[in-house]
Amino acid sequence: MHVHDVVVMGAGSIGQPIALELALRGLNVAIIDRLSAPGRGQNRAAIGGMRATHSDPAKIEICTRSLDIVKRMESEHGLPVDWFQGGYLYPAYDPHTEHVLKSLLTTQQEAGLDIAWVDAETIYELVPGIVRNGLRGGNYSPGDGSTSPLKLSLAYSLLCRRAGVSYHMEREITGFRLAEDRIVRIDTSRDSFSCGTIIDATGAGARTIGAMLGLDIPVFPESHEAGITEPARRFFQPMVVDIRPGPDSANYYFYQNKENQVVFCLTPDPAIPGTDQDCTSAFLPQVTSRMMGIYPRLRNLRVRRTWRGLYPMTPDGFPIVGPAGYPENLWLAVGMCGQGFMLGPGLGQIMADIIADGSTAHQEILGQLKLQRDFSGEEKLK
Amino acid sequence: MHPVLEVPSGRPRACFHFDGKPMVGVDGEMVSSALVANGIRTFSIHRRGSSPQGIFCANGQCSQCTVVIDGHPRKSCVTALRDGMDIRTLRHLPHLPPDDRSFGGSRVETRTCQVLVIGGGPSGLTASLELARLGISVLLVDDKDHLGGKLLLQTHKFFGSIEDCHAGTRGIDIARILENELRTRTKVQVLTNASVVGIFKDRKAGVLINGDSYLLVDFQGLILASGARERSLIFPGNDLPGVYGAGAFQTLLNRDLVAPAKRVFIVGSGNVGLIAAYHALQAGICVSGIADILPEPSGYKVHASKIKRMGVPIYLGHTILCAEGEGRVERISIAQVDSDFNPLLDTAKTFLVDTLLVAVGLTPADEFHDTASDFGFPVVKAGDAAEIAEASSAMFGGRMAALQVARRLGLSVAEEPSFHEKMEVLSARPGPLHKLPAPVIGDDFQPVIHCDQEIPCDPCTSVCPVHAIELEGSNRNILDLPRYLGGCTGCAMCIAVCPGLAITLVRRLDRQKALVVLAHEYIPTFAPGDAVPLVNREGALLQHGTVQKIRRNKKYGTWLIHVQVPLEDAGAIAGIRIQDPSLVAPTPRAIPDFIPENGILCRCERITVGEVLEHIRKFQVEDANDLKQIRVGMGACGGKTCSVLLPRVFAMAGVDWSRVTRGTLRPLSVEVPMKAIANEDQRP
Repeated sequence: MHVHDVVVMGAGSIGQPIALELALRGLNVAIIDRLSAPGRGQNRAAIGGMRATHSDPAKIEICTRSLDIVKRMESEHGLPVDWFQGGYLYPAYDPHTEHVLKSLLTTQQEAGLDIAWVDAETIYELVPGIVRNGLRGGNYSPGDGSTSPLKLSLAYSLLCRRAGVSYHMEREITGFRLAEDRIVRIDTSRDSFSCGTIIDATGAGARTIGAMLGLDIPVFPESHEAGITEPARRFFQPMVVDIRPGPDSANYYFYQNKENQVVFCLTPDPAIPGTDQDCTSAFLPQVTSRMMGIYPRLRNLRVRRTWRGLYPMTPDGFPIVGPAGYPENLWLAVGMCGQGFMLGPGLGQIMADIIADGSTAHQEILGQLKLQRDFSGEEKLK
Repeated sequence: MHPVLEVPSGRPRACFHFDGKPMVGVDGEMVSSALVANGIRTFSIHRRGSSPQGIFCANGQCSQCTVVIDGHPRKSCVTALRDGMDIRTLRHLPHLPPDDRSFGGSRVETRTCQVLVIGGGPSGLTASLELARLGISVLLVDDKDHLGGKLLLQTHKFFGSIEDCHAGTRGIDIARILENELRTRTKVQVLTNASVVGIFKDRKAGVLINGDSYLLVDFQGLILASGARERSLIFPGNDLPGVYGAGAFQTLLNRDLVAPAKRVFIVGSGNVGLIAAYHALQAGICVSGIADILPEPSGYKVHASKIKRMGVPIYLGHTILCAEGEGRVERISIAQVDSDFNPLLDTAKTFLVDTLLVAVGLTPADEFHDTASDFGFPVVKAGDAAEIAEASSAMFGGRMAALQVARRLGLSVAEEPSFHEKMEVLSARPGPLHKLPAPVIGDDFQPVIHCDQEIPCDPCTSVCPVHAIELEGSNRNILDLPRYLGGCTGCAMCIAVCPGLAITLVRRLDRQKALVVLAHEYIPTFAPGDAVPLVNREGALLQHGTVQKIRRNKKYGTWLIHVQVPLEDAGAIAGIRIQDPSLVAPTPRAIPDFIPENGILCRCERITVGEVLEHIRKFQVEDANDLKQIRVGMGACGGKTCSVLLPRVFAMAGVDWSRVTRGTLRPLSVEVPMKAIANEDQRP
């Protein structure tokens, strides 16, 4: 039996930052994961975008911290994570999109976010060659950017090990032993763990884990496909997000990463529920024609690889973060709705503030993201 | 001029520029070959270390030969040369051309077939023929511009049996025979210049055609006849221009008719390395030697003996230390190994060569098989994709795969048990060596057979008009050795057909002299009356003999040299030495700069084995996917080239490979321009 102060279930985008921050505050932390290496669940499928410019207070706060951490990762720890501050750009080609985007700006600017409406000329400078016909302008947030999911996961693994976190990989959770409304033992396919606090960072697997405890954790995975091209000398700066719906798809987005490869992703419509992560033949023809529709210059760029990852969705599109209530020593950090990669670093700090330091500074976030909410709201802009 | 291949005259020329310099090539040949023919060895400058990169696989797999063609980075080995092309060295990253014309709209093209056959080499061709015979509709796709696969590189005559697999015929001619037959079948559609880039979950395959359009193929079953790729090898200097796969070298030499070297050294004495040496010599290229880490040649002994007779030393129990030179291979060093295969540096030998061929084996190109079977599609492998073996057995493998897939599609097709047996024989590893009796030379012609190892081969018995040669042995199949029964008419068909050049004809002239007829596959550099150096079976110099007559057997494209020799040597003489060993000796002093950790593992991203070992140790890596964190496998080839080297690398780091999670392969297997995927309509 392994005995620890904290056991984090899930060595991914969320689990590792939480484990690190708790270990840095002196706790004895273990991570368990069913896969053979950290970040091999959905971290590896993340496309790498990171922005603070959300439209709700919780995600704004969490991601602002994430960006701050990631931007300093190389200078503070000597760990390159390929941060590139290219900004996020939401172009508008029709009055409706312009209206939607502008209506978001008020909240975002009130929250102190660096985002503003820019004209077509500015957009053309950021994305030379973007279709100008009908371009009305767009929202642009210069402080956002991208970072490498693989490298950030690697950095967290290294920092975690340095901070004394122990990794227990290739362990399937098989059950929990409870006593007096607390989890006293976690059984895995290989061994057992006992600890004071348990953190569920199992992403798309949260519902299964919840069922073992009699909890209804409303996390329903959907899948999105993504791709990456060959590298070419940098030819545009921001993450371009086209929020208009298209045939069989909702929004799509693409950016050029630090390695100068273009990474792209499309939101299927209707959504594809389930955990299938095998590539389909429909994705590439769909996404490439949409991208070339607004950025024809991409036509000569060669697609190198595609993959399919999971969006652990919740009914209202917001994560589930906070104490489960029952069992008393279980904390949830699940259902990141496809944004776990950008939420992870900040969430790690905030969870550690609360769990290790007993901070009460994050009541607003916990209030918004708690499990015990009615899930009837809706994310304004994914 | 080539002893075997006809070099067509009057091929249409194509004028092009390379880095601004005007050059001339052949219209339609691969750009890589045109560049090599013009003396270009550096195709790109890698962004890591600004190191020059040359062509490596010549097979569309590795992407090391990428150049910038009319503004677009392209693999030069799969791009046809056209008049007026502007070709440039790719320096670090390419610029994306600012082609801002508005998007012309997209089109999804789909085609339906019962069985998709991937690869039009020996097994793909026979599989397609067999499927067509069963009335099954076939789409055969091949990524080259001609069907035939590796048959097109094989200027040597085939081993095997004449009845079953065209033994004694050269591979290039077999390809033509099979293709002609295939083109008469209406059930078979053929797509050339077409690469399958992915197998998708919705039972469709994505196919890139001519590099500019995209087809989705809706299939029921799949035959994977995609051949093999050459294994790479890790040693310092392994990415210098001038280090090629042996198959790449054969492609340049035999398919594209360019001589990419003056002096070569070969690592690996399997059949591929041995045949590469033979092909190099045929093209007038000096072969300084062949090294193999094992104590015996890995290929057929008749091949190895043939190469030794030609004057090529084979260094057994030796490993490659390094390839060195300023921007290209100028010298290579080898050394003997100890019982743990570690190099003994004080035994190092250095050779001044401009080319190093890596012929350390092949790996099945079978990744689509795993994808397709994971998805539950009926899929069967054939040829080298199933098992690395001779093309003769691949031709049976193709037919068997066809029957298997037909059955899996629910057709009631009878098994053909003889196929299996024949394929087993044809793909058999070389068997035991036999000591051959010394022949008694008489006044009449008789064949002296120097074939002393059990290999699947029988053409000598089939071509003899009087059935004077038969197979004899315990195998009771074509693995048995040939034996002369008597009654030879001196027609010389057996020596002309023998793929191992392992038969001579001998006749006593008088009490001192004899006449020996030798098969010779080089353009004779001698005339009747000249003395030629004659060697025994294993290449030791015996005598100089006088050439009496030079003839050419047109059917098999082999010269027959009549030589007068002393009677006592007549039975031992097995060939004419064509390369003087003194010309290929190592330098007086070995000068290797041997820093093993500098060997490149991932060619695309230019990651050294030292960097990989450090990463594995530092992070206790037990998942091959974690190497992507340092970009191993993230390049254009997607790990196709380096993944086969990983077991060794993990072992070097002290990690048991059986514990390591394998790397995930994802589509696409070849990079595809977005406009091709969308089939963009670009009419003005």
